[in-house]
Amino acid sequence: MANHKIKNMAERKYQKVYTSNPVADADPLTKERIAVLEHYIMKNCLWQFNSRGWDRRKQNAGILGKTAQLLCGEPVDVSVPLEKCYWVDAVMLERAYRKLCPWLADLSKDDIKALMQLLNARMDWLTIDGSLNQELTVVNY
Amino acid sequence: MPYHEFEVSKVIPERKQHAVMKGAGEDLTSCLPLGYLNTIPGSISERGCAYCGAKHVIGTPMKDVIHISHGPVGCTYDTWQTKRYISDNDNFQLKYTFATDVKEKHIVFGAEKLLKQNIVEAFKAFPDTKRMTIYQTCATALIGDDIDAIAQEVMEEMPGTDIFVCNSPGFAGPSQSGGHHKINIAWINQKVGTLEPEITSDYVINYVGEYNIQGDQEVMTDYFKRMGIQVLSTFTGNGSYDDLRGMHRAHLNVLECARSAEYICDELRERYGIPRLDIDGFGFKPLADSLRKIGLFFGIEERAEAIIQEEIARWQPELDWYKERLRGKKVCLWPGGSKLWHWAHAIQEEMGVKVVSVYTKFGHQGDMEKGVSRCGEGALAIDDPNELEGLEALDMLKPDVIFTGKRPGEMAKKVNVPYLNAHAYHNGPYKGFEGWVRFARDIYNAIHSPIHKLSLIDISKDEIDAGKGFQTRRMISDEGLPEEIRKSTELREYTGKYDSVSALREKTYPEFPRAEAGTEAVAE
Repeated sequence: MANHKIKNMAERKYQKVYTSNPVADADPLTKERIAVLEHYIMKNCLWQFNSRGWDRRKQNAGILGKTAQLLCGEPVDVSVPLEKCYWVDAVMLERAYRKLCPWLADLSKDDIKALMQLLNARMDWLTIDGSLNQELTVVNY
Repeated sequence: MPYHEFEVSKVIPERKQHAVMKGAGEDLTSCLPLGYLNTIPGSISERGCAYCGAKHVIGTPMKDVIHISHGPVGCTYDTWQTKRYISDNDNFQLKYTFATDVKEKHIVFGAEKLLKQNIVEAFKAFPDTKRMTIYQTCATALIGDDIDAIAQEVMEEMPGTDIFVCNSPGFAGPSQSGGHHKINIAWINQKVGTLEPEITSDYVINYVGEYNIQGDQEVMTDYFKRMGIQVLSTFTGNGSYDDLRGMHRAHLNVLECARSAEYICDELRERYGIPRLDIDGFGFKPLADSLRKIGLFFGIEERAEAIIQEEIARWQPELDWYKERLRGKKVCLWPGGSKLWHWAHAIQEEMGVKVVSVYTKFGHQGDMEKGVSRCGEGALAIDDPNELEGLEALDMLKPDVIFTGKRPGEMAKKVNVPYLNAHAYHNGPYKGFEGWVRFARDIYNAIHSPIHKLSLIDISKDEIDAGKGFQTRRMISDEGLPEEIRKSTELREYTGKYDSVSALREKTYPEFPRAEAGTEAVAE
């Protein structure tokens, strides 16, 4: 069988999005909350550590985006297996967050979305743009 | 960057960037050692080679295959299944190993004829085994033998046979990890999609990066079968060659050891659209969450939940018995690759120990990202350590036990640090709920064994206190424990059998009706 031809080369040669820690200028309460959410992911999850940067970007956006939707009680796209796989990790994270962070129940949907977007940015910084891992930009698996 | 410089490696300054000590407030943007680079000259590495990584780690756990090395016999001997990759077909792949036994004259005149003769002889000697993997070695790579052409010739001359060729000579990468990569890509390029498998369930997975060490795969497969899931293939422990040709028909790739097998998962996702779901088979919470995730994906979470409740009710009191006796013990977690992150958080949370160091022989920076994240502050993370650094770390950290391979393990024993085999286990399997208790029992037995005190006595000169000559593990472990723990009627030591795996092979499983014959539940 012939070797597979890469279809998404442009995506694999990605540019950095963040040049500094996106949470650095947040208020103390937000920083504290982001730290709790981040801590749970880094201790218990594996999805944020796919071996390539372009995969990590998709994983972070897919799972944290769906987690935000679940926390806001919004419908989630599970129409194709790849989306469903993000949803699976998002459900686990949503359950953990509801248990770990009772204060989430007091936040409005807009506040939850803003917080989760900042968490997404923080995870992108930590695992992609600010990462010291020199293999993230390798274009092949 | 909180690099840690070993005294013994000051003469090799490049080594400094390969060790970090995680400090307060450190994260992955400031604390990560280099990794997956060529070993620095002057440092005696504990690594294997790319041939070993391809054959010994990934290829040969396949159970119904003649595995043959095309090279000198020493390469074969050193990759002959000392890692306890058992199988349910009477361990064919453990009992037999094959080599072309290349000599000097073959290096001069070529070894292709010798290879063909060996292939034919092996197939004739084992007429029931029609599948073969061939591994190139340094010698036959350098002389340019065309193994693919010979394999093709034999397949044409011996109908019914099928051969996989792995061109991963020892020099093809900084460590065995280079070989993991090569065989992953070679398998998907050569074999995936060449056989259409029979689908018997609405829920079909490939179980990837699992090598059935002392039965790990069989324990995990038991859970999957209890959930009504078809394990189409296992890459590769206890796995069947032909099953692995049909990997393209799974609905989900469940990935255990991302270090050795993420490449094929990523390629299966790219080429066939099969999602990759990373799981942890070690530890009660990680395993329970993993089963829940698989259940969620297929819409059968209640089946996972029933198993989790049953298993935790059975095994939690035994895990907690050990946890009470392991609290605060210092652990060096020094495996080859993935176990440093599979175990780092779970053993601290569920066994009460403290991980004071992680190291990896062949891991990449991605493995260290996971490991450093899952450790606490003050943990020393080392990439590709040499023996002297290991000894210095043991002297500095004074761990109560280390989990590592046989070579550094024997070194640790000499300085009176108990060691458990992280690669092949002591009394595994360690996966599964019961397996995690077996691991806790091994740790308990290692740390609290009276032999460590006895071994420090020099009978040629030390005074022997005859009144204190007898101690048991229990006497040592329970000293200082509160009475309610010592006399607890709820907690208990491990009560499982010596062999926790063989009975699984005789087990029957419930049949779950399919949603609609021939349809796939996932395709919504």
